[in-house]
Amino acid sequence: MSDTEETQDDKDGAMEAPINSPEVEAAVEENVEPEIVEEVEAADEADAADSVDAAVVNEPAPSGEFVATDGAVLGRDFVLPGVAPGDNDPYKWHTGRKREHGSTDAIEIVDVVKQFGRTRILNGLNLGLPDDQISMVLGPSGTGKSVLIKHIVGLLYPDQGDVIVKGQSVPDLSDDDLFEMRKKFGLLFQDGALFGSMNIYDNVAFPLRQHTDKGEDEIESIVTRRLREVGLGESHYKMPNELSGGMRKRAGFARALVLDPEIVMFDEPDSGLDPVRTALLCELIKEVHAESGGCYMVISHDLGTARRIADFIAVLWKGRIVESGPKDELFESDNEFVHQFLQADVHGPLAMD
Amino acid sequence: MVKATATKAIEPAKEFFTEAGEMMILTGRTVMSAVKPPYPYGNEFIGQFLFALQLCWFPMLVSCVAFGFGAPGLQAANFLSLFGALDRLGGFFVLASIREFAPFVTAVVVAGVAGTAITADLGARKIREELDALQVLGVDPIKNLVVPRFLALMLITGMLDIYALLFGIAGGIGAELLYAQPLGGFFATLFSNASTTELAASVLKCTLFGAIIAIVCCYKGMTATGGAAGVGRAVNEAVVTALLGVFIFNYLFTQTMLATNPDLQTIK
Repeated sequence: MSDTEETQDDKDGAMEAPINSPEVEAAVEENVEPEIVEEVEAADEADAADSVDAAVVNEPAPSGEFVATDGAVLGRDFVLPGVAPGDNDPYKWHTGRKREHGSTDAIEIVDVVKQFGRTRILNGLNLGLPDDQISMVLGPSGTGKSVLIKHIVGLLYPDQGDVIVKGQSVPDLSDDDLFEMRKKFGLLFQDGALFGSMNIYDNVAFPLRQHTDKGEDEIESIVTRRLREVGLGESHYKMPNELSGGMRKRAGFARALVLDPEIVMFDEPDSGLDPVRTALLCELIKEVHAESGGCYMVISHDLGTARRIADFIAVLWKGRIVESGPKDELFESDNEFVHQFLQADVHGPLAMD
Repeated sequence: MVKATATKAIEPAKEFFTEAGEMMILTGRTVMSAVKPPYPYGNEFIGQFLFALQLCWFPMLVSCVAFGFGAPGLQAANFLSLFGALDRLGGFFVLASIREFAPFVTAVVVAGVAGTAITADLGARKIREELDALQVLGVDPIKNLVVPRFLALMLITGMLDIYALLFGIAGGIGAELLYAQPLGGFFATLFSNASTTELAASVLKCTLFGAIIAIVCCYKGMTATGGAAGVGRAVNEAVVTALLGVFIFNYLFTQTMLATNPDLQTIK
């Protein structure tokens, strides 16, 4: 048997063993398999503190290369946006710490890896989003926030890991079940994503006509109410290309809410809006949430929005959560990156490159 | 160095086979979606059919008359006049127009006019995230957008094949008249060589051209990336890929048809 084969056999055997088995512990002591060392350390951390998420935090390999949880080597097998190929410790600020939020998780993201070509956008992402709260995922541009939303609604599937929504694994659902599950969702896209061939009224009525047996009178009363809520009561028959960006967003919001979804997601609702309209949209989100409840998730990098509406904040960077927890605790965090980002400080780990 | 060169050489082939595979999967899902209830695509199907008809009827008329008159008409008549056999032009039109030129012109016009419109429409929807929005609203874009376009283009290409045959033959009649020939010989050889098998194969082939064009154009539109420039690129790729697919399929279909019906090769 060649050396290579021996190594592979050893690796296979070790991977099959339970993570806390004596064989694995021995392997850790001998520093034979860096991947196993990482898993055991992560498991120990999880045991040590209940408030710490079960995220697997990678450590630099003895060889000086950064090895991800799936054995892929940074620089050789993949690149991470914003990380130099030779960086052997890109996650030194990522504690993965999840502070207690006092609710159950409606959405769980478990060790999700997503790579496009050689670019890895999500790299072992772990996140839980509480039910009946407004959660906010904050992070610098290009860290995978929109990709995360697309995984939750099943528009993208993870290369590895799992996405669990209300106890159902999204990647395991059949097409029919997935379309059924999506009726629980409302999603406000960045630009509203209104159907260009329909006027505003028909756009908002579309989900009701597709998925309910309601008559046109009932549909009209629901649509009119929702449009009035978002301040578009007089714009029923305007086409999307006749509206400003802010109006399109508000119309998209009305459409997202029209089926009274259990989970509502907002992809940068504040982008391209003036401060007053941003504040008004935030108030609207809070009001609707207070009225109907459910799991709301807002993706943004606007700190004003975070302060105004968030109950729970998760900070995403380099495809992983740095820290997550209730808003007030996160704003007081002593984590260097979280502190820099939430205080908009120019000094800290995040630089222009 | 060697690895990098090999990767560069393999990458385009890998991309080609990946795209071809994804188009096959889209075809399978479209057919399954078309036959599996519910059937919410009736209005969209009628809309797409009328849209394609509205776009294609005039370009088809001009192309078929001009093509029939010019290529098989004047060129073949010029050649046949050497032998004093201009009456054989009708028989030649069976080979030329029914078997090849009518489906060819139909495919080119439908791909260039209706196919590109489909790619541009779906590509713009993809870029504006409308397709994602549809899916998030629990609506299957294959059933609601691809299936009606697939069925409409199949039906329209099959019907336009007959239209192309008629106007193509009109071009042939024009050529015959230009050579001051009586039309009796033209029609005699046309009908002695024509057969229902030939006609049915032509319509079937053209209908399947419509399926290829619809799948390629829908696929390219639904996978467009890169903003407005990306939509333009998708349209360009769609028409080139659709026509390549049509030509390859045409060769395979015609060869299979002639091999299984050897009597069609006999010139009467």
